Amino acid sequence: MIDKLDQQRRTFVKGAISASTMALVATSGLLLPKRLLAHWPTDAFTAETLEDALLALLGQAEIANDSALKFKVGAPPSYAVNGASVPIEIQSDLPNIERIAVLVEKNPLPLVMNLEMTPAVKLPFKSMIKIREDSNVMAIIRADGKLYKTTRFVEVDIGGCG
Amino acid sequence: MGLVVKDRIRAKLKTDDTNVRVLLAHPMHTGRAKNEAEELIPAEFIQDIRCWRNGEEVLTIKCGTATAKNPYFSFQLVGGQQGDKISIRWVDNLGAKGTVETIVK
Repeated sequence: MIDKLDQQRRTFVKGAISASTMALVATSGLLLPKRLLAHWPTDAFTAETLEDALLALLGQAEIANDSALKFKVGAPPSYAVNGASVPIEIQSDLPNIERIAVLVEKNPLPLVMNLEMTPAVKLPFKSMIKIREDSNVMAIIRADGKLYKTTRFVEVDIGGCG
Repeated sequence: MGLVVKDRIRAKLKTDDTNVRVLLAHPMHTGRAKNEAEELIPAEFIQDIRCWRNGEEVLTIKCGTATAKNPYFSFQLVGGQQGDKISIRWVDNLGAKGTVETIVK
C-alpha cells in the first residue's frame, strides 16, 4: 500500500514538473530552434548549394586557392569506403587563423562545420564527417582577414547522408 | 532521461602544446534517414560545441548535420601545463546539453 502510494506520488510530482516546465518553455518561445540558438548560423547551415552556404557564412563566394592550407580527406587520402564517417585533417602554418569552415559540394546541405578559433588554438584539426557521394570537399580558412581555400576530390563507396 | 553519457575527452601535453581529443556520444540524425518502419527519423544533431581551458573560452565548433555519428575532434592548444582544466560543453538542436572535462596529463 505504501509502495503504491509512493508510486502515485512520484508520478504526480513528475507530471506536475514536466507540465510546468513545458508551460514555461512554451511561453518563453524557447521551442523555436532559432531562438534557442540564435548564434547558430542557420542560414549558412541550411543553404542547399555551396555558393549559398558560402555567401551566408562569409559574405562572399569567390576565394583564392592557396597551397598554404594542407587538407587531407579520407584514409587513404581521397578515398573512403564508408561515407558515414570520413576522416579529415586540416593543417596550416598561417598566422592568426580566425575561422575554419568545411564544406562538401554534393551533400544535401553543404556546410559541415564552422570553427571559430582563438589564438590559443593550433592546427592540425582532425574530425570525421559524412559525405553522400563522390564529391569535392573544401576547407576554407580566414586568417588575417584573408580567405584561403583548398579543395580535394573524394570517392565514396557507400554514401553516408541517409 | 536514462541516457548513459559516454562522452570522452583526453588532453595530453606534447612537447610544448596540449593535444585535446574529444569523442561525444550522439546519434547525429540528419533528418533524412528512415527507421525499420520506413518512417523518417527526425533530425537530432549537435549544433554548438565550446571548449574552455581554465575557464577561458578557446574554441567554438558549429556543426551541421554532416558531422559524423559520435563526433570526434582533435586539436592543439598553444602552451599549457599539466593540471590545466579542459572542459567541453555541447548543445544539440533539440536543446539537449552535455559537459565533459578533464585535466591535462
